[in-house]
Amino acid sequence: MNESDPQSWLADARARLDESAQSLDAATLSRLNRARQAALAQRRSRGLRGWWLPAAGLATSCALALAVLAWYPPGHPTQRVAPAHAPVSDAEIAADDGIEFYQDLEFYAWLDAQEQDSGG
Amino acid sequence: MADTTNQRALDGFLKAIERRALRMTELATASREEALDLVQDAMFGFVRHYADKPQDDWARLFYRVLDSRINDWYRRRQVRSRWTGTFLRTSDDEDDDPIVQAPDAADPGPLLRLAGSQAALALDDALRALPHRQRQAFLLRLWEGLDVAATAAAMRCSEGSVKTHLSRALAALRRALEDHQLEDHQ
Repeated sequence: MNESDPQSWLADARARLDESAQSLDAATLSRLNRARQAALAQRRSRGLRGWWLPAAGLATSCALALAVLAWYPPGHPTQRVAPAHAPVSDAEIAADDGIEFYQDLEFYAWLDAQEQDSGG
Repeated sequence: MADTTNQRALDGFLKAIERRALRMTELATASREEALDLVQDAMFGFVRHYADKPQDDWARLFYRVLDSRINDWYRRRQVRSRWTGTFLRTSDDEDDDPIVQAPDAADPGPLLRLAGSQAALALDDALRALPHRQRQAFLLRLWEGLDVAATAAAMRCSEGSVKTHLSRALAALRRALEDHQLEDHQ
């Protein structure tokens, strides 16, 4: 190794390091190859898992939608069952008896009071 | 399609870098087995966290992960040697002594025995003797060819620190190799 010239000894050092890296034995090269393949396989399996999960989610959603459609086909009349003690709204009463009843409510109250007075 | 291309590019990048990464780690740990484990960890960490980054950034990101793994290894070893130093030093059995079992830095190892070069051995010894930061600055900057900014990013320090580490590494290496040459001539 020629140490007198800085560039020369550096070039020599690099060449020797290159040589040592190129002359690795077969067992070591095999280990390196397996390590590299394992690292890349990890990435491939992660990529596959990344594709598989959304696909499985989509399939589940489709199955649920199909089940709902089978249970309630479109066009099928849905039955509404009123609860046993459902509160009756003012609008429903009005539909049955007519709006005039409410408008003459004061008159009926007065008539009822007159009848009671004349009867008693 | 883009994913396959990226996968191929990743494979090519790791293939191109793995041998130098192993040698750098081996110089830091003085153990081929430890170095292989650390490089594998670094590959996993790099692929998991940085594979989607621009390819121009891959080298500095990979070496950043590797440097982090090597630092963790140093920390673990420090803790282990504290424990063994406190509690196991009383053992007479040399098989249990971590100092005896530690890899011998002077042992050239199979690689350098195969290379059979005194100069390569001297270079290896000189690099192993350097403080970790100086060795990393030298190897990343002058062997791996990262620029100062990328070396600083990989080592998580300022560009000024890289220059300081590199300058000290060059001076120490030069001294060590000159000493080696003098010993050879005597």
